[in-house]
Amino acid sequence: MLKCVHKTISVGVATLVLTSISAFGAFDGKKDAVDGGMIYPRKNGVYTVYRYNDQNISHFNYGRKPTANELKAWDTDIRPDGVGLPKGKGTVARGDELFEEQCAVCHGDFGAGGLGYPTLTGGDRASLTNQRTPGKTDAPKRTIGTYWPKASTLLWYIHDAMPYSHPKSLSWDDTYAITAYLLATNEIQLDGKDMDDDTVLSNENFLKIKMPNADGFIPNIDGPNGVKNVKAFLSDGKNIGAVGVRCMKDCKDDGAKLVVVKDPRTDVNPPFAEARDLPKKPKDTSVKPGQEEYEKSCAVCHGNDKMGAPEVGNKEAWAKVMKKGIDKVLATAIKGTGAMPPRGGSSYSDDKLKQIIEYMYSKSK
Amino acid sequence: MKKIDKSSTNSSSLLLNKTSRRDFFKKAAVYSASAVAASSLLSPVKLSAEEKDDKFITEEQPWATSLGYELNKNPYGVPSPYEHNVVRRTTPLLSSAGDMHAAISVTPLQDLKGIITPNGLFFTRTHNGVARIDPNKHRLMIHGMVKNPIVLTMEDIKKYPSESVIHFLECPSNGAAEWKTPQFDSLQFVKGMMSCTEWTGVRLKTILEDVGVDPKALWMLAEGGDGSSMSRTIPVEKAMDDAMIVYAMNGEALREEQGYPVRLLLPGWEANLSVKWLKRLEFGDKPWYCKEETSKYTTLLPTGKAIQHFYPLEVNSIITSPCPEKPWTDLKKGDIVEIEGLAWSGKGTITHVDISFDGGKNWVEAKLKGLVLPKAWTRFSYIYKYEGKELLLESRATDDSGDTQPTINQEKKIMGVEGVYHRNSINTWYIKANGEVHNAQMRS
Repeated sequence: MLKCVHKTISVGVATLVLTSISAFGAFDGKKDAVDGGMIYPRKNGVYTVYRYNDQNISHFNYGRKPTANELKAWDTDIRPDGVGLPKGKGTVARGDELFEEQCAVCHGDFGAGGLGYPTLTGGDRASLTNQRTPGKTDAPKRTIGTYWPKASTLLWYIHDAMPYSHPKSLSWDDTYAITAYLLATNEIQLDGKDMDDDTVLSNENFLKIKMPNADGFIPNIDGPNGVKNVKAFLSDGKNIGAVGVRCMKDCKDDGAKLVVVKDPRTDVNPPFAEARDLPKKPKDTSVKPGQEEYEKSCAVCHGNDKMGAPEVGNKEAWAKVMKKGIDKVLATAIKGTGAMPPRGGSSYSDDKLKQIIEYMYSKSK
Repeated sequence: MKKIDKSSTNSSSLLLNKTSRRDFFKKAAVYSASAVAASSLLSPVKLSAEEKDDKFITEEQPWATSLGYELNKNPYGVPSPYEHNVVRRTTPLLSSAGDMHAAISVTPLQDLKGIITPNGLFFTRTHNGVARIDPNKHRLMIHGMVKNPIVLTMEDIKKYPSESVIHFLECPSNGAAEWKTPQFDSLQFVKGMMSCTEWTGVRLKTILEDVGVDPKALWMLAEGGDGSSMSRTIPVEKAMDDAMIVYAMNGEALREEQGYPVRLLLPGWEANLSVKWLKRLEFGDKPWYCKEETSKYTTLLPTGKAIQHFYPLEVNSIITSPCPEKPWTDLKKGDIVEIEGLAWSGKGTITHVDISFDGGKNWVEAKLKGLVLPKAWTRFSYIYKYEGKELLLESRATDDSGDTQPTINQEKKIMGVEGVYHRNSINTWYIKANGEVHNAQMRS
């Protein structure tokens, strides 16, 4: 057996020389793709190792034409050039109110972060060159003011994807207001002027926002040569760190020393385990009343202790809550309290809310 | 193999011996004799053949002496309960405040075989939880700079001629926790933000030829139907090359975590671009600047500039056996062992994988094995005689676009350590003399 293995190894070394001569161009590929990589031909029903049906196929004419209303309903993207900008307006002051009600719970007061969710404000563009190499602990700050290249992204994203647990619930007026607030807190100028509480942001003046880091990205993707620029950029390995060398003997790696993992992270779920044994006990997978809604709409804040909301599972916190009696707790949930919007931002009925509270309490006894 | 005591080599004495030994053990158990006492009492026959007997061979086991369970007890099959530790895992580090709606789960690469990831173990990244979509109500709209805008139902999409291809998907953050220093002692967390599967669907080009894309359209917006309406801008060139609209993986419908009922598939590119729960494709002459291609998924360089539209996952590899989870602690000096791993490249096809035992000074070429496909996981293998010595084990892949994996220092020199995405430098496993395997890096 041993002998056999040695043979295999020596054959491996011998073939190395041969195969490395004809290294490139597997499957008649050409290095001509837009990503700087290979394009493989599709010819006579063969694509690399795959066969495909090459009967003359076209004009299936499946589906139907979208109606004007359908297009209007779904074509809600907003481009930096203003195409798709919806009608609407809002003041910085209104945005401040809305942000405190609906956003600060995750993003912190003034969007300053600290709660584990993205930090939206603060920092300095100069920090973008920070590198946390040994002895240097300052991280680059990637916020709206220091990093985001386009204001349209902000307006579009807030409307489509925020607030986190109930996206697409903000009107366009409110979305303009929150956007205005975030731009103002990032000290971004509108039409060459600082934004104050009374500044109105609207579809009329939106294109006059100047984002500080608008020129912070490469390659240039704008204009008729945008795609060509990307292709040229990605095709040059020096731009993207694709500079490996296939050295086989006495290879040098300047100053490289061994760094072995120290205090490796163990905060993983489920815990690390490789045993082939039977699970301890079958998990209770039945869904309790209120559980699904809790997980969908409440767990974001009540699932941890970082947000200031009573954490589900915390006996003490929930004993304190429930001392007030279920009716009072329900009334608070309906009205909202502190950072919690009315009904936690949901549209659940009173009965459903009660069920959710009872579920949360049941998990905290 | 140790010699069997001469006195027990003939069959009759063996039988006798067996009976008396069984009696002895019974008694020993009853009187709670210690194991030490037992072995010392037995010392003249302690090398007998029976002692080496594997009782799982010599004794009948319950599963062989009883009726198994009904064959269709699980109409949708599940793995053996003994495999319960083979699961995706999460960590609060890769989430916001420990919230698992916008986070990532990683694939247990240490337990996978071949190049196909089982659907239940496919890594998952979501930005607003996993959407549960009613396939009867799902629509895909294609519009913008096209001659014939269309709305397709799932039935419509499935009517197009289908193709099946094997491709990996990898999150560009794979390994991002380790730009500055190794943080995990686990293959699953070092490289588990990727999976590879056989996808089935329709080539996007087939649909686009019907729709008639305006030659002036350079970009395609792809938008998901989840709560975050996850969207990205993609060059039309890719849409017309190997892009697909897929609705099946490994022979069955997409899992919800992977975009049920339909997703975009852009082979070789940042998995984020293969938009899940795909509901809309719009064609235009300008890029859209979506949130996930501006504030995120852009690679900040030491110059302070960031790379945008950084599509391909570059050539990469990892040794999967041994690894921290599957160490060599059971090996003895002189044992023969297979070193195995995965190589992949989003820019093409793997041509070579080399192995180093000394932290990258000297290399030998490994063998590729199984299917060697473009933009797919490729298995490599090297058979090795274990010497019980410390090793710095590395693998280094090369693809047919000519790229070879860089060292950490080579990559760092250009990319710095704050870019988050697209880390593909060579990985090191530090193998201790006792066979333990730990995550390590060769760097300065």
